[in-house]
Amino acid sequence: MERRLLPRRGILVSWTTQEFLPKEPYAGDETPETFKPYGVGLVQLGDEVRVEARLTESDPDKLQLGMDMELVVVPFRVDADGSEVLVHAFAPA
Amino acid sequence: MYDVAIVGVGLHPFGRFGDKTAIEMGAEAVAAACSDAGIAWNDVQFAFGGSADTDFPDAIVGLLGMTGIPFTDVYNGCATGASTLSVTADAIRLGKYELGVAVGMDKHVPGAFTGDPRVVMAPVWYGEIGQFLTTKFFGMKINRYMQTHGISVQTLARVAAKNYRNGSLNQNAFRRKRLSEEEILSSQMLNYPLRQYMFCAPNEGAAAAVLCRADVAHRYTSRPVYLRATELRTRRYGAYEVHSSWAAVEEQPAPTVFASRAAYEAAGIGPEEVDVVQLQDTDSGAEVIHMAENGFCADGEQEKLIADGATEIGGPLPINTDGGLIANGEPIGASGLRQIHELVRQLRGEAGDRQIGGMPRVGYAQLYGAPGIAAVSILTA
Repeated sequence: MERRLLPRRGILVSWTTQEFLPKEPYAGDETPETFKPYGVGLVQLGDEVRVEARLTESDPDKLQLGMDMELVVVPFRVDADGSEVLVHAFAPA
Repeated sequence: MYDVAIVGVGLHPFGRFGDKTAIEMGAEAVAAACSDAGIAWNDVQFAFGGSADTDFPDAIVGLLGMTGIPFTDVYNGCATGASTLSVTADAIRLGKYELGVAVGMDKHVPGAFTGDPRVVMAPVWYGEIGQFLTTKFFGMKINRYMQTHGISVQTLARVAAKNYRNGSLNQNAFRRKRLSEEEILSSQMLNYPLRQYMFCAPNEGAAAAVLCRADVAHRYTSRPVYLRATELRTRRYGAYEVHSSWAAVEEQPAPTVFASRAAYEAAGIGPEEVDVVQLQDTDSGAEVIHMAENGFCADGEQEKLIADGATEIGGPLPINTDGGLIANGEPIGASGLRQIHELVRQLRGEAGDRQIGGMPRVGYAQLYGAPGIAAVSILTA
């Protein structure tokens, strides 16, 4: 297996929202009461590959096919010992 | 190769049945299929049994009779029902047996399917961060399709309302209450643009068929239905499918397209000759897309066809006449054989309030599911 550095920016090929709290193996720390919908998108990185990832935006009015996206790192959950777990996501660029 | 006929079908209703086991439901479906074919269980030479959540479908011999026959269990994702039918048919086509049973049964817990992502070759993190969700894939696929091909949200509601309406005419259906397009469009958003009442639900049920060599079908029925094609395909490199954490830039059509083409070729039948259709409506958007993937229209034509009522029971292209997955739910092992049950009833003119007009001659069934698998069966009267 060879490591390969992919572009940080890409184009939104498709997207949806996740509006209900996923069951296990989901490792988020939300409850049904605190859960907030998140976006999920398929992002094409240059002409190399398409990857599926969370989006920082979940408002359908602010997401469009073909829009430019950029990789960011966002908070995901806080562990019992207080340490913050981060996750990769794409944000409108 | 021998031709294959379906000479009996049986169904245990789809729904939720408390403590009743999938084995009990499967045995009832087989008993009904044998009765329909006018045979006894003792006459059955072999069987295949499909299930996702029941480890030993063959355990139904404990209820039907321990006659010692070869009974092989099958699991093939959402294509399990069609795969069970296909291997049963192949055993007859190849001349090994003359008469056999295909049965599917399942009993799922309520709520979306989940589990360990590694079982579909997806990474562990894919589940941990909340992407291992079947419904999310269908949202992604239809959202892009609608914007690319001019399909409206109203069309999604029309398809769901049609399937609930058909389900209300089906005493074996899970959801028998009609829902208006307004009720569907005001139900909870699950995965944009798909709302709760646009999705099917995992549930419970069983279905069975008795198959035999076509040249002896007249012994069992005066109205055999011939199984002209059973074709299964997996995804190709470049397809974006359920639980794909990535996809190649160069797109490939979905596996349904290849299964469909192969089935038309094997049957020597084209889409314009099909009279009654069963499509995998995991959600109403999937039914819309599958209309095109199976060759019944061009991409985008669904908008007008559905508005004009073409896919209704009284229309020229009736789809999911028994309510499909949306009204019946999806007990995975049984779902594909439920489709076959409905097609056989329609082709024999026995579908009662759901009976399509004319003298239907050709029936078509399609299944699709994770991690990118599709099956198509073509039947003729």
